[in-house]
Amino acid sequence: MNTPADDGHHNLRYAEYVLGVLDADARAEVAHEMRSSGEAATAVALWQRRLQPLTEEIAEVAPAPYVWARIHEALQLDVPSRAKPRQRLWDNLALWHWLGLGASAVAVALLVVVTLPRLAPTPSPTTAAVAYMASTIKQDNGTTGWTATMDLQHARMVVVPAAPAALAQGRAPELWLIPAGQKPISVGMISRDQPTTLALAPALLAQLGPTAALAVSVEPPGGSPTGQPTGPVIAKGAIGAAPDAHGNKVAFVDDSHAERTRA
Amino acid sequence: MSVSTPAEREELNQLLHQTAREDQKAFAELYKRTSSKLFGVCLRMLRDRSEAEEVLQETYTTVWRRAASFDAARASAITWLVTLSRNKAIDRLRQHREEQLDDPFKLDALVDDQPSPAAGAETSQEYQRLERCLDELEPQQQSSVREAFFTGATYNELATRCEVPLGTMKSWIRRSLMQLRTCLDS
Repeated sequence: MNTPADDGHHNLRYAEYVLGVLDADARAEVAHEMRSSGEAATAVALWQRRLQPLTEEIAEVAPAPYVWARIHEALQLDVPSRAKPRQRLWDNLALWHWLGLGASAVAVALLVVVTLPRLAPTPSPTTAAVAYMASTIKQDNGTTGWTATMDLQHARMVVVPAAPAALAQGRAPELWLIPAGQKPISVGMISRDQPTTLALAPALLAQLGPTAALAVSVEPPGGSPTGQPTGPVIAKGAIGAAPDAHGNKVAFVDDSHAERTRA
Repeated sequence: MSVSTPAEREELNQLLHQTAREDQKAFAELYKRTSSKLFGVCLRMLRDRSEAEEVLQETYTTVWRRAASFDAARASAITWLVTLSRNKAIDRLRQHREEQLDDPFKLDALVDDQPSPAAGAETSQEYQRLERCLDELEPQQQSSVREAFFTGATYNELATRCEVPLGTMKSWIRRSLMQLRTCLDS
């Protein structure tokens, strides 16, 4: 089966390639050879089979969920990026898209969500235990790029594109939360053509409020490699309580003061 | 994920074939079952979480685009996937080799001290056979082969790390490889 005398040294280059000791040039040569010669490809495959069982020693490490989200985004897949949660009004992205004309329109809908149970014949004890915030993320030319609506109770944000400007090929929008006087915190990659639902980590949730702002920067498809914005900021928006139908502010409603009040 | 049973390997092969036909659900399932293994491999080689994440992302985007080139007759799906991630990690290392030299403490901080093989996992017959053959090598040569495989270091880097002349390192590795082949193929 093996004849070290005649194939010895040459065949070893394939072994060295699989082991990973060749420098960039020598690797490229072997890779080229594999593409043009079935024999070389087979020799490499044989060495992979011999050496690769060593990877069984390597402990598995679960990657962070955003890695799949980035892959999903980069390949523009249709399947949901996470297991589909139960359908609630909040999950109805088509509704948000339909509403995605501006934060006030979304907010009106939210008010309906908040107030609806009061009109219902049977009062529900949990009705008002919901808090929402909204932001209109405007571009430099004054048009709305996206609207963001934050559901504090469920720690989620829905970002709906309105009329985002086109980006260069191979660039993608990334959403940042900027607490007053602090560095931006990445919220996640967002889409230019469909609503994006983002989970809000506790650290992010804690920073949400009227003194914080949202911003969108232009990044590589996988997101900023540095953890801070690397491309230009193309849109910004203040975060506010969802205004009611008359444009008045609605106090944040939570479990402790479960009443809607006019400012 | 355990891929040591033939049935599990076959399932992964199927998922990869379905991925080649642009079946997104199969692709998502394939990611779910294999990403922790591949991320472990990337992390071990690159020793940097965000770089490992980038290489993992590159790996799976390539999987999606090139799944059709998978040939089950030549390698199992998991071998194909691990190979792809190792190759991408090595390419990355070659791009900026000088920065990667070389802080062993950083690795300890990233990867839990692990007995070999990976704790609790059943090892395959192939692994056990390879271990037996590795054990027949001189201790120094065995550890050079392991170091090379797990870190993707070049001959030059290995020679520096082990403080031996380049020629010595080359002959250690080459002799080990020939010995391994003889042992494994017998």
